Amino acid sequence: MSNIDENEILRRLEELSQIKPTAESTERAINRARQTIADSESHKAQRIIFKSPIIRFAAAAALLICAGYIIGRVTSAQPINIEQLRAEIETSLKSSLSANYEQIKDELHQQVQQDLTEFAAQTLAASTTMTDQRLMELIRMIDAARMQDYLRVAAAIEKIEMDKARLGDGLQALATKTSELLRMEQSITPSKTGG
Amino acid sequence: MRDRQKELFELLDKSGANLFALLTRLTLREDIAEELMQELFIKLNDYNGLRKIRDWNAYAQRVAANLAFDWRRRQKRACLSLDDVPQLASNDNSPLINLINSEESQEIIDAISRLKKAPRQAIVMHYIQQQPYEDIAEQMNKTTHQVRALCHKGINHLRDLLGSKRKGIYNVEH
Repeated sequence: MSNIDENEILRRLEELSQIKPTAESTERAINRARQTIADSESHKAQRIIFKSPIIRFAAAAALLICAGYIIGRVTSAQPINIEQLRAEIETSLKSSLSANYEQIKDELHQQVQQDLTEFAAQTLAASTTMTDQRLMELIRMIDAARMQDYLRVAAAIEKIEMDKARLGDGLQALATKTSELLRMEQSITPSKTGG
Repeated sequence: MRDRQKELFELLDKSGANLFALLTRLTLREDIAEELMQELFIKLNDYNGLRKIRDWNAYAQRVAANLAFDWRRRQKRACLSLDDVPQLASNDNSPLINLINSEESQEIIDAISRLKKAPRQAIVMHYIQQQPYEDIAEQMNKTTHQVRALCHKGINHLRDLLGSKRKGIYNVEH
């Protein structure tokens, strides 16, 4: 059997129900809740922003960087002299830039020379090729002209030979006629003298 | 969003004091009740399905009770030493201090927190918040008879819980 009966439980519940918070704390709690409701939109926006994994990652990264920077500053052996640091950086930059300038100048010079040589070689090759082509063309043209001259000379010689043969025939015919005429004249002349 | 704020302000004006009283009764600490009151309205504001709730007052009471019982469970797990307990907000002569000092109140609230959801809700609304059965029935979407049965069942269970605890203590002491 239980040691606590229903009446005892009801009595305790009745006691609980009689508890009343003070008016001040009630008013304070209600005001806080009212403020919470009023701020709810900005709270919601903040919660939405920080729910985003990208934002959380970015925030964590920023915190890590800040922590690293702070640890670095704290653990550094001596306080940093800004003027000295600036002078050292300036000197370092100057020497670095001058060395780099000479190197860049040499590299640029070499590059320009190399480009010019290459360009000249290409131009010469192209020029030689073109000259060769022109010369070959000229030779072909000369050969063609010479061949044409040979043909013309050959034709002229052939014509001369033909004319020469024809003249020989004519002279031969003339000689024949002349001798016939002489024979006829001789035959006529004795009869005149005898008669 | 503006409508939600307006509705919550109305709820606060209408039932804010009752909700705070409930939180104080279940935590027996005004400072904690203030914190939980704020948490309650954050929860109400963040709840996406708030428009589907038929009775906001009843819903807010349920959430408030759950917050208070959750806090009690966390407190039990934390096992605070007496030095860690903060000073109470009320003055020494208030009935609240007297009740806090009595172990009986702590016992009954712990026992209520161990009840099932429906009887616990009925017990809190009827016996601690002093609401009539008809109102509770409407808020819980049940008949008056069902609410009475839930209360009866809850009281019986409380009697078992408290009785078995007493027996345990008695056996250990002797």
